[in-house]
Amino acid sequence: MSVDALACPFIFIAIFFESFVLVTLLSKPARDARARKPGSATPLVAVVVPCRNEAETIAATTDSLLKLNYPADKLEIILVDNASTDDTPAIMARYQAHPNVTVLHAPERGKHKAVNIGIAATEAEFIGCLDADSFVDPDALNEIIPCFASHRVAAVTAAMSIHQPHNIVEHMQNAEYSFGITMRHAMASINGLYVTPGPFSFYRRSVVEALGGFRYGHQTEDMEMALRMQKAGYEIENAPRARVYTRAPHTVLKLIKQRTRWTNGFLRNTLGEYRSLVLNRDHGVLGMLILPFALTAVVSTALLFLLTISQLTLQIVRGIEVRLGVPLSYALAPRYAGFDWFYFPTSVFALLGFIAMVASLALVAYGRHLSQTPFHLGRSMASYLLYGLIAPLWLVRSTAHVALGKNQAWK
Amino acid sequence: MTTSLRNALIALGITIVLTGTVIYAVNYLNNARLAELKSIEDQLTIDTLSLDTQFSLLESAPCDSVASSTTLTSELADLGTRLAYTENQLGNNNEQVIRLKKQYSLLEIRDYLVTKRLAAACGTKPVTVLYFYSNSGDCSACDKAGYALSYLRDTYPQLRVYSFDYHLDLGALKTLIAVDKIRGELPAFVINGKYSNGFTTLADFEKEFPKGALSTSTPKKK
Repeated sequence: MSVDALACPFIFIAIFFESFVLVTLLSKPARDARARKPGSATPLVAVVVPCRNEAETIAATTDSLLKLNYPADKLEIILVDNASTDDTPAIMARYQAHPNVTVLHAPERGKHKAVNIGIAATEAEFIGCLDADSFVDPDALNEIIPCFASHRVAAVTAAMSIHQPHNIVEHMQNAEYSFGITMRHAMASINGLYVTPGPFSFYRRSVVEALGGFRYGHQTEDMEMALRMQKAGYEIENAPRARVYTRAPHTVLKLIKQRTRWTNGFLRNTLGEYRSLVLNRDHGVLGMLILPFALTAVVSTALLFLLTISQLTLQIVRGIEVRLGVPLSYALAPRYAGFDWFYFPTSVFALLGFIAMVASLALVAYGRHLSQTPFHLGRSMASYLLYGLIAPLWLVRSTAHVALGKNQAWK
Repeated sequence: MTTSLRNALIALGITIVLTGTVIYAVNYLNNARLAELKSIEDQLTIDTLSLDTQFSLLESAPCDSVASSTTLTSELADLGTRLAYTENQLGNNNEQVIRLKKQYSLLEIRDYLVTKRLAAACGTKPVTVLYFYSNSGDCSACDKAGYALSYLRDTYPQLRVYSFDYHLDLGALKTLIAVDKIRGELPAFVINGKYSNGFTTLADFEKEFPKGALSTSTPKKK
């Protein structure tokens, strides 16, 4: 059976999922979420910034928090150094005198430990986490707090984008993050979120404490906590206009390393402790659709990629073998010169793939519109086309890691 | 019904409609390709008959048909390329493809015969290659041979290549195979009446051609 024929069911599932996102975006819960206005309530909040060796960005991260449009007496900023070996502690110490800032030290390595130490140091009911390489928009907090209106809401996620993307790898990720803004907004409206990302996700303290605080989650503590909240029956909301900008890997190798860690975490959490959520009707759309789809996407993309590569290699070898001895000027020339509709390549797989790609780009564009994040849409969308070539690399790598039981360091 | 279930059903409906539309569009295009092939074949059938008739009418000056014959051969080559592409798209077991291949093979045989008659009457020295291949998995060198012949045909326009699927169930083709005593390993070739089979390299294959046959100049009349 050809790769095309094998891939068709997966493309069908991908289009189904994209259609599902589009329909969900148009449904009432998502429309209501979009209509939500920034609130006037200003409860006491704390933002915990766990950091390890973030000397380059910690000052800018803290400064962005200090510029939040929120009453100063209701905002606590807790910087937690996690055994840094660079200048991070010295830079943190500069903020020690600031009335809103508390500087703590978590000598034992582990992001979850640093976050728990930060939470223990505050009385605030709403606690945000901010990675030390991320920067918040001044109005972000005012967008987030109203999302906690229901007591069932245990956490709220923000709208992430890449901080000042420069090269093609960063633009590609920016498009992906914009796609993520749309996805998170749609999925939150039906309580389908299974990750509360490091950049500026907020938690209800009482829920976090009731669930036992943050713990090791295969280096994806934010995902582990979100899955635990979902398992306990809580809701995770999203504030699509709470903009936060994060620094991204700027080389393909660093990106693959980061994403391998994320995907590892997803696979280990979902197939491990939280396996009971998958295909569980009690957990609604998350259990019956989103987690099964995400698992299918990881495994099928990895397998199809390997299959495509092997078939492509065989075809190239065969192509070279067939052309041996024929002058290169002929062998390298296109077989069917000029446009002739007759030779226009048409296959069900190619056309469905094209539809899936156009729908993806539409979701990227909508994410930008929804969050009102300023970035160069054309550049990001053009770079996004590379995503399909690079993403399988970390999916294959992480699937292999999980299959072989190999672990990867956080930093 | 929950919002999610309703959304999922609507999304499933959209996906089925999109997929159905794509399958319909691909089938429509494939049928359009087959229709175009049929139309070209019909035209070529008329052209071949016309050339045959012209040849008979111009008994006294048959060589006036040479130009028409050359054009026809070139159109036949284009049809062959289109047919090969369609076969690749739809598979060699497709009934319509097999039917079109039979018609195409008949046209090739007729053109080959007309070319031979014109050569005898007008003294031209066309270089003709009958190429017998197989898509049934019993010809490992056929891809290489086919590509080499495409290169030679595109490089030397006076070369007339007639390709035949050895296993095609067609009476006229079986007769041609019997007449030319095609046997043994495929691919097999009849180059200006001389039989050979097997393919190794383009350089070795070129040695099978008569001296001077592979030149870019147009062959002269006697």
